[in-house]
Amino acid sequence: MTNEPVIEVDQVSKIFQTPKQGKVVALEDISFRVSYGEFVTVVGPSGCGKSTLLKMIAGLTPLSSGRILYQGAEVRGLNTKVGYVPQESKLFPWLTLEENVGFGLDPRRYSREQREDRIRNFIKLAGLEGFEKHYPSQLSGGMAKRASIIRALVYEPAVILMDEPFGPLDAQTRMILQDELLKIWEQKRQTIVFVTHDLVEAVALADRVAIVTHRPGRIKDILKVPMDRPRNIFEIHRQKGFDEAYGRLWNIFRHELKIRLDQGQSLDTQKPSR
Amino acid sequence: MADSNSAGSPEISRPYWTRSLWVNLVRLGVIGGFFLLWEIASGRWIEPFLISSPSRIFTSLIDNIQSGTLMEHSWVTFKEIGIGFPLGALSGIATGYLFGRSRTLAEIFEPIIMAIYGIPRTALAPLFIVWLGIGIWSKVGVVFLLTFFLNFFNTYAGMKQMDQEYIDLARLMGASKWKLTFRVIFPAVSPYILLGVKTSIPFAVIGAIVGEFIAATEGIGFFIRLSAGVFKTADVFVGIIVLMCMVIVMNKIADLVERRVLQWQTQTEHVQIQG
Repeated sequence: MTNEPVIEVDQVSKIFQTPKQGKVVALEDISFRVSYGEFVTVVGPSGCGKSTLLKMIAGLTPLSSGRILYQGAEVRGLNTKVGYVPQESKLFPWLTLEENVGFGLDPRRYSREQREDRIRNFIKLAGLEGFEKHYPSQLSGGMAKRASIIRALVYEPAVILMDEPFGPLDAQTRMILQDELLKIWEQKRQTIVFVTHDLVEAVALADRVAIVTHRPGRIKDILKVPMDRPRNIFEIHRQKGFDEAYGRLWNIFRHELKIRLDQGQSLDTQKPSR
Repeated sequence: MADSNSAGSPEISRPYWTRSLWVNLVRLGVIGGFFLLWEIASGRWIEPFLISSPSRIFTSLIDNIQSGTLMEHSWVTFKEIGIGFPLGALSGIATGYLFGRSRTLAEIFEPIIMAIYGIPRTALAPLFIVWLGIGIWSKVGVVFLLTFFLNFFNTYAGMKQMDQEYIDLARLMGASKWKLTFRVIFPAVSPYILLGVKTSIPFAVIGAIVGEFIAATEGIGFFIRLSAGVFKTADVFVGIIVLMCMVIVMNKIADLVERRVLQWQTQTEHVQIQG
């Protein structure tokens, strides 16, 4: 891991204009850096603007102020150098699994054989052999998710942005996929920025965890996770360093929750009892 | 009836071919029964010149085929539809696509198109006769007009339904304009496009016939009007049979295309409402 940053987010704010509430500050004064080969998770409550942050790095959403540098150059317009894994798998339903996986392989950069080779290798890596000719509607949720991840990995962008990719999955599938993701990442060492609202997931996967507060979204803190790799996702609680990192993360969150409770904000479904 | 109480419906427990045989037999029975009743009723309870009869229609069908008149008229109507329908469908799809791509274009022209759409389009048919004469081109015009709108609206609706995330993803993965259009947008909209094409098939035939009713010297519509004018009811039915066949053949072709283009869609089972 070099210390040279691949992404530099510099005092970025995002203000949405809504017809009902007027101006809503989604993100305020966000600054952080991500180095090459780093696995950074961004954790925060729902609606805190962490997905918006990813979309801004990808150049899908314009910033209200500040700037984002990608490999030293300011992101203006679409950033086609990143891979993007959306919340739902969003495989193209009209393409077969292998066509989906190969979608981002530019024929000008890869020969036909190279493309076929890569597709085959990544499908194998994700354990999807035998399903090459299947359409997404014929795949299970977990399989579609795997395919969606390797679709972003296959053309080797320097950075992969992941927007709560494991959110909609059941707990077991989720763990298996987290484990697979780490294994693939340990082989390829692409930079990953991974958005999640799950504290355990945030700690288990990351080198560093960026904590985003509830609206307006600010970066509260960035924690280092001093755990060894490779990690065992299935017994992550027993691994040295997990408790401490999780404890620190939870402390910050508990503080956040307390502020919101004291302000009398309801926590989504539960009203504060007195 | 006994097995309808079991967990599965009786159709599932039976092998597929038995069920399909049974469905076909009942269908044939219904059709056969209808023709039989028609044959009996004609001349006995209802005047034959009003409803003709299956046997008279059959005889007149053979006569008209042998004399070559049916072929001649059918060929004319076929040409009108064969030119007007693809032109109308393609330009409707293209316009729908362009409106979907360009918001400005849509904002400018949408009210205009809606206004034209508001006119009962068959009311414009006489104008086409004035503009394009009584030959096939006026009918081509009417067919075009009727197919254009259905295809336009369906394609445009599909474009508006497009999931932005598919486009964003494709562009992030470096898709070229061409790739974005033909590997992402058109496939995503294809169910809507095909629905438009399929619903516009009968309207294309209606367009040709309406045009021929108004002013023509040949074509199935002309043949039907002429026959009705001299109470040759059997010939009217012969004309209707030809039109039915045209629609059926066009539908079959559309089905084949649909099955190929939409093979990625999950086949939806017939919804079971009864427990």
